[in-house]
Amino acid sequence: MTGAQAAGLTGREADAAAASAVKAMQADGRHAEARERYAELVGRHQRRATRIAFHYMRDAAEADEAVQDAFVKAYSHLASFREELPFEVWFTRILINGCLDRIKARTRRERWIAPMPEGPGGERDFAERMPGRGPSPEEQLLARERREALSRALARLPERQRSVFMLSHFEGCTSREVSVLTGLNESTVRVHLFRAIRKLRTLLATSGDSGTSVEKRRVIS
Amino acid sequence: MSFLDKLRMSGHLDDAALAAIWTDGAAEGRQPSHPHLQVCANCRSRFASFASWLTDLRIDTTAEVDDLFPPERLAAQHGQIFRRLEAAERPARVIAFPKFTQPLTSRSSHGSRWIAAAAAAGLIAGVGVGQMMDIRRSFSGPIAPAGQVQTASIRPERTEIATAGANVGEEAFLSDIDMTLSRPALPELRALDEFTPRAGDRAR
Repeated sequence: MTGAQAAGLTGREADAAAASAVKAMQADGRHAEARERYAELVGRHQRRATRIAFHYMRDAAEADEAVQDAFVKAYSHLASFREELPFEVWFTRILINGCLDRIKARTRRERWIAPMPEGPGGERDFAERMPGRGPSPEEQLLARERREALSRALARLPERQRSVFMLSHFEGCTSREVSVLTGLNESTVRVHLFRAIRKLRTLLATSGDSGTSVEKRRVIS
Repeated sequence: MSFLDKLRMSGHLDDAALAAIWTDGAAEGRQPSHPHLQVCANCRSRFASFASWLTDLRIDTTAEVDDLFPPERLAAQHGQIFRRLEAAERPARVIAFPKFTQPLTSRSSHGSRWIAAAAAAGLIAGVGVGQMMDIRRSFSGPIAPAGQVQTASIRPERTEIATAGANVGEEAFLSDIDMTLSRPALPELRALDEFTPRAGDRAR
């Protein structure tokens, strides 16, 4: 149990307290203590940050690096953090900017470098080929196809619509919070969210009409 | 309730209206609600299926990320973040230029020195002995190769026959050349041949 939890603080209050403490320790030159306290913040936001980074990057390794970069950057620039803004919002903004920079760099790279072929079976990881006790292969295939369809549909959304949809729906942010994170007007956020849902509905309905390969096989048999 | 609201409530909500209701609720962080949904069971059920579709999307994406980032991976990520923080705070380590108390050349052992000296002495002795052998041979005169001496002593007749055969062949070859040269090859050149002195005439 962390000190904040013991004191019965809400997440945001605990973040603010921890961020202030880390800032003060950094100023005093007590770096080891500052890092120890910062671990509390990292632990609280790491999973959410990884999720957001993955939604942007669609690549686990790149999302991993983006999260690391964001936490390192936030720690080294904590002196510029203002307490009136929630740490979560400030940090998420750093993370999103980092992800957008990485996407730009990746786009530039992909323009010049041919993509590497995947393994013979198309698998990316040895662990994926190991038999498990989870869902059946058919269920796994269906889930994978569904995720791929969703991923393709999300990729076809304009960048702002995608960001707004992910932050609002996947991360549960209000339009006010999304507005602070993205720098967009609150009413613009609502419009983007509405359009994103409409477009996703159309895109996924179209891919649903065409039917997945497994569903087609089922109909035939 | 206004007339417009009554008119709006008389018809069913379309997909866009359902999306708008859901967006309003999500944007404000509250449960989505609309007066029409309270009175129309059909639209309520359609809205429920719409909301459940969106929830499924969230569950799918969350499950995907959770599969990709199990707790072990997150722990490794956490460790990596703090290693980077420590490394960033540590002042850059300057590696001193290597400074030796003795020059590198004096580091070689006495053993290797003795080996080098012995090799040099061996080389000089070898060259000296070789020179002496040469001098002795020049004093004792030319010595026929051992193989040649042995062959001569074992088969003297064969050598003589071979030498005689060689002489006959040589004479025949030379006379062939002489005959070829004395006879003009082409009648057209015969006149020119008459004017030209021959090597044999010159010798006589």
